[in-house]
Amino acid sequence: MLRIIFCFLLIASSVFSKTKTSFRAEPATENGVPVSPKVFYEKNPSALTTTLSVIVMTGSVDDPVEKSGLSNIVAEMVLRGTKKRSRQKFQSELERMGGALSAVVTQDTIQFSGGVIKENTQKFIALLEEALLHPAFTEKDFQELKREILNDILHVKNSNNRLGGLAARREIFKGTPLERPVIGSQSTIEKISLSDVLRKYNDYFDRPKIIFAAASPFPESEMISDFARIWRQFPDGAKPPKRAVKLQIPEKPTLIVIHKPKTSTGSLFFAQGGITAQDPDRYTLKTGNFSFGGEPLVSRLFKTIRGELGWTYAIGSSYASLGGVSNQQGLFSISSTPSVEYTSKTIFKTLEMWKSYLESGLSGDELDLAKDSLINSYPFEFETAEKRVSQKLTSYLYNIPILSPEEFSETIGGINNKKLKSVLKEKHNTQSWLIALVADKDVVAKDLEEFQKDIPQEKRLTISKVYTPDELVN
Amino acid sequence: MNKKSWHILTLATALTFSGVFGADFEKVSDKKLFNGETLSEYKLPNGLKVLLIPRHEAKVLTFQTWFDIGSLDEKMDQKLKKTGLAHLFEHMMFRGTDKYPDGKFDEITSRIGSDKQNATTYFYRTNYYESIPSNQLKKLIELESDRMANLKLDAALLDKEKGAVVGELRRALDNPGRLAWDELNRTVFEVAPFRYTVLGTEEEIKGFTLEEAQYFYKTFYSPNNATVIVVGDTEESELLPLIVKYYGDMKSQEIPRYQMPEEPSQKKERRVEKKHPQATSDILLVGYRIPPVNSPSIVPLSLLSTHLSTGMESRLRKTLVDTGIAVSASCGVSNVPDYLEFSVSLAEKHRAEEAIEIIDREVSLLKSQTIKKEEFERALNQELLSLYGMIEDNSSMANMLGDYLMVSGNYLRGFEIIEEFKKLKPQDLKEAAKNFLKKESRSVVIVRPQSKTSSKG
Repeated sequence: MLRIIFCFLLIASSVFSKTKTSFRAEPATENGVPVSPKVFYEKNPSALTTTLSVIVMTGSVDDPVEKSGLSNIVAEMVLRGTKKRSRQKFQSELERMGGALSAVVTQDTIQFSGGVIKENTQKFIALLEEALLHPAFTEKDFQELKREILNDILHVKNSNNRLGGLAARREIFKGTPLERPVIGSQSTIEKISLSDVLRKYNDYFDRPKIIFAAASPFPESEMISDFARIWRQFPDGAKPPKRAVKLQIPEKPTLIVIHKPKTSTGSLFFAQGGITAQDPDRYTLKTGNFSFGGEPLVSRLFKTIRGELGWTYAIGSSYASLGGVSNQQGLFSISSTPSVEYTSKTIFKTLEMWKSYLESGLSGDELDLAKDSLINSYPFEFETAEKRVSQKLTSYLYNIPILSPEEFSETIGGINNKKLKSVLKEKHNTQSWLIALVADKDVVAKDLEEFQKDIPQEKRLTISKVYTPDELVN
Repeated sequence: MNKKSWHILTLATALTFSGVFGADFEKVSDKKLFNGETLSEYKLPNGLKVLLIPRHEAKVLTFQTWFDIGSLDEKMDQKLKKTGLAHLFEHMMFRGTDKYPDGKFDEITSRIGSDKQNATTYFYRTNYYESIPSNQLKKLIELESDRMANLKLDAALLDKEKGAVVGELRRALDNPGRLAWDELNRTVFEVAPFRYTVLGTEEEIKGFTLEEAQYFYKTFYSPNNATVIVVGDTEESELLPLIVKYYGDMKSQEIPRYQMPEEPSQKKERRVEKKHPQATSDILLVGYRIPPVNSPSIVPLSLLSTHLSTGMESRLRKTLVDTGIAVSASCGVSNVPDYLEFSVSLAEKHRAEEAIEIIDREVSLLKSQTIKKEEFERALNQELLSLYGMIEDNSSMANMLGDYLMVSGNYLRGFEIIEEFKKLKPQDLKEAAKNFLKKESRSVVIVRPQSKTSSKG
């Protein structure tokens, strides 16, 4: 909805860290009670801008199931005017000074992120302070926002890739707050009232849940002082609870189709249970996945299904497909976009290659390639001040502190195929796949039948459910 | 020899002998950028151009190779007269040489820790890019120069790559927004090859022969048609000797340059309506013909587009998105092809005609009223914010230089435009609107869902 210019992204590859507490900006305390906020900061003397984020530790996992999208609405409403300034006045002052602010909501955070040309940093922080502490929350702005969000939700029907993810969510997180994306759906947005928004703001915008991150050309002490002033004005509260929901993955390959007539390519999304951010085997699994499907151009999936067979333009696999929650088991997924005549072939080839990977792991060359690449590219994790702040922030939120290059090299270097096979066997299996396919259902059914004509009926993969795009956004 | 003494020797050689005895390279210029950095330009005797901005914040760098060849040239080339080969060929550049057979380029660049490695093709250029740890510079230069000079084109690999490219094309065609954009180019241009898509057609892609690919490579992938751009953790003393060593022996060759057919002047609005089975709501594109990027008129037109579409307070956001008529609305200057483009994704139950009416009203206001000082300041500062954010990233900085070089012949054109913004007055935007945002010089494309009935706009 908003143009995001600056944002300290929570790093999806946050699995690359292990328990260690360096780099953590612990707040000062008096009698065990924090008296200053947590601040993650990097000074960048040559920067022409200040970038910052205020993170509130609550997200869509805290939304009531029937009111999915509430956190997102609260986040957007905070930036829609203050008690002193209308939405129009607030935005025009912000933009006139060369600033931009946007709200990003994940499963367990609301992030207000922005940037400003450095000369106007103080004015920018003052406006942000006003928004965070004194949002207007008017009925008019609320109704306009709901209308905008409903339009955005309906527009998702245009995106085949997103529809596949929506369908997978519906099945895997059924009955939980994660069943719908952070933006919610038509039915849940309609149930949200302005009093829900106020309640959520009052319940969650408090000192223990708020942290700050910034990169700027100014001394750290100046920024900390500004953040502390803002932080102290919030009420006290409770530390955020750690919430997680259980995944519901079918026991055997189950195909659901999102019916889109006349597509010439399908959007194919395989999902299986993944890992938590803190999983002790995360390095091994990420390293294995690099050469199985994680890295475009060199992975086994890419080289075979695109490079050798030419069935798809895009193909890849990931442990963070639907975004991470700090203590939530994520998904492992494989995505591709096969041409319509190769849909069945791609499905079965993917399953076959997964089985082979689980049974044999990687070849020596593949494993060496993954290890070399991960170790050698590690400096990019710290390339800019913004990335260094992101590392610190991710480390704190996921409780997985940062590794030095030497520690990282040692950790990745110690992985071998025996270990990989053992971890794959423990964490994964060949059968438990939910497969979401966005395509023309009739074409898919015919293609599957033709492809499996020599397989006994009871062993065939068939379409178990058909969604329409309208159902998925409702 | 240590790095420092080498540096002095190299500089001395270049300054003394460049252009006289066929020296290793010529230092064309050092330019101080507004952020205090130095951008140096070099040229090898074979015509290869090199741009360098040293940055040492982290031990990484971006290495990009830009070729002055895109889909326009292939359509105008008398031996080809087709589109899609420039793009297909870009894929083939990853398919190996004698020294590094198919797959090895990707494997080695991956192994050395490359980040953001890929390539893109557009109407007027093709670029290849990687970001790597700076201690791997030598290996990367060896690989990049090898595929530029020694690509081994193989019929079987060409056929395999066609499958992936057809997949890419089909995926694009499944996207109603993509159809709208292709249609806009076909509508704005009656004769210029912007009418033809960069990806080509499925028939063209499947029909390309090995001979055509070899001709394309031999003709357009020569050092005098290429620019290497490096931003990051290196210095002239390290980079230039490597460039000379690995690219210096390549031979320059005559590059055919084609005269773009002159587009007849447009006398009245053109309007096209299409349907797309995947569209769920109307998509509207409006293109106003404007002058090329080197024209002074581009400066007020660019700021005008920022005023219209950047930020929550932009006119299009307020009149189209906040009102619930559209899901998104933007406006921007496109260079090569040259037009100012409005792009609107309508909300369901709203029609493109509503957006056209609003755009017309906004354009009419721009022509009749001078925008307020605070609105002007807002647009200018949003441009600065965007520029400052962009140039802090090595890849984005290199992209900006490369793209302006290819589109205008002047890699600093982007910075010049920003400087010229500062000299503008609100009145200049009004004049630009009056001169260029004329109904008779615009093209309108509407893509509707298959099920909706069409209506005349």
